[in-house]
Amino acid sequence: MKIFQIALGILAAIGGFVDIGDLVFNVSAGATFGYELLWVVVVGVVGIIVYSEMCGRVAAISEKAVFDAVRERVGFSAGLTTLIAAQIVNLMTLAAEVGGLAICLRLLSGLPYRWLILVAIIAIALVVWTVSFDWIERIFGYGGLCLLVFAVAAVKLHPDWGAVAHGFVPHINTNDPVLYLYFAVGLLGAAMTPYEVYFYSSGAIEEGWTAKDLTINRANAMIGYGLGGVLSFTLMITGGALFLAEGIEPETLGTIAMGAQVPLGTAGLILALVGILFAVGGASIDTLFAGAYNLAQFMGWEWGRYRSNAGAPRFTLTWLVLLVLALGIVMTGVDPVMLTEYAVIFSVVALPLTYLPILLVANDKAYMGTHANGRLANVLGIAYFVIILAVSLAAIPLMILTNVGQS
Amino acid sequence: MKGGRHLALLSIALLIPACNGGTVDQHALDNDSESIDSLACEGALLAHQVVDGATTEPFTRVHAGELATRASNFEDALSQRPTTPGIESAVRKEAEKAGRVAELLHQLEANDADSAAELKARLEQEGDCA
Repeated sequence: MKIFQIALGILAAIGGFVDIGDLVFNVSAGATFGYELLWVVVVGVVGIIVYSEMCGRVAAISEKAVFDAVRERVGFSAGLTTLIAAQIVNLMTLAAEVGGLAICLRLLSGLPYRWLILVAIIAIALVVWTVSFDWIERIFGYGGLCLLVFAVAAVKLHPDWGAVAHGFVPHINTNDPVLYLYFAVGLLGAAMTPYEVYFYSSGAIEEGWTAKDLTINRANAMIGYGLGGVLSFTLMITGGALFLAEGIEPETLGTIAMGAQVPLGTAGLILALVGILFAVGGASIDTLFAGAYNLAQFMGWEWGRYRSNAGAPRFTLTWLVLLVLALGIVMTGVDPVMLTEYAVIFSVVALPLTYLPILLVANDKAYMGTHANGRLANVLGIAYFVIILAVSLAAIPLMILTNVGQS
Repeated sequence: MKGGRHLALLSIALLIPACNGGTVDQHALDNDSESIDSLACEGALLAHQVVDGATTEPFTRVHAGELATRASNFEDALSQRPTTPGIESAVRKEAEKAGRVAELLHQLEANDADSAAELKARLEQEGDCA
């Protein structure tokens, strides 16, 4: 039974790993630099594994989610700054995911975009209102597994496997180092996006994890995110093998879907679009919940999907308001792919504010007892915190210097 | 006050990359030219899928339409924006090319396998595709 539970969690984590940020940055990076940035995905995936395991453990042992820890450990002012930064990035990401969902529906149905934005918003609201937390994870996680079509596509495109292997060796591209660094920052931001840890730690509390569930936590984080990272590799390989060779700059979700269409035909196209639909749909719900979790936890309100909507009224009202705000943003006609790029780069700036409290609490024996960080978790946690800090300082200058990755 | 000034400077810095209405210099022309070629090559690839019957009608219509809109935006921008001295004719030529690519992409929206082969060849020619 436990193995079955772990397997289900892992499957959901694989399918739920990729969101619109991963789709955009991985395929664009492949189309611009071939396989040269694969090693950055490895760095990002290990980072999200380290911190997800940590915040899942904190949630299981102390019953505190990330923003409980933020409020308690960094004080009100710094906590409020973190909250504001997190909510702005969450809202941008939510709007981008909702826009992506509508684009995907449009590519499948051909119906008008603005109507489909409304359909997407109503569908998200209905799912969140009526479906249990477990089933939301399963439906979107398993649906997202359709993205495995990109793994088949990557193989069918016959990439130069030697060049792919070389891409896993850390190096700098000397032809255009600034653009290369911009993509490296974007890939790290997409892999380690803050809402994932907010959602992961709050989800652990939703599911009532205790010390007995630490194995599930470790397996979900390591195997689930690890294999989810493989999906990112396949997206980048598709970008390198197809779009770089054809001289195509992928700037739309339709282009990304063509990565599976060209080698696999109509079936590949439909599987890619369905996979993207579930991936961005699931990520919409994750970001929506993350925004409501953050505010409710910081303010000390009742929160969680395990309560009825009326049992946590301010939590419910928060996600409804966030959904309306996202609707307003997408209805302005902003390009969701461009919004994604901004959201990912701004999320990088907010990364240290998110990850420092997790590191502090995971080290605190008063909270964690014998489950506090060991030496390996601390070495990795501190190393990643230094990386995150450096990357967060470089993110905005790189965005300006490269004109948001255009040159 | 100082914080407000920093915020204003940051806002301006963030808005600069989003602007696309300034003078076209050689660097901008090269970038736009690459983007137009990219749109043409992507259109050619999509046309190839239409020829092979490896697509769906909504996907071709919507995606070709999206690519056509982007090509039209380049046509509008390059035909109206001021240029640095010496490159005006090259910029206007590029605008005409963007217009032709947009027109071909609009034709592709019909998802007609009979005309797609010719559209593919013309788009490949416009984009100088590999």
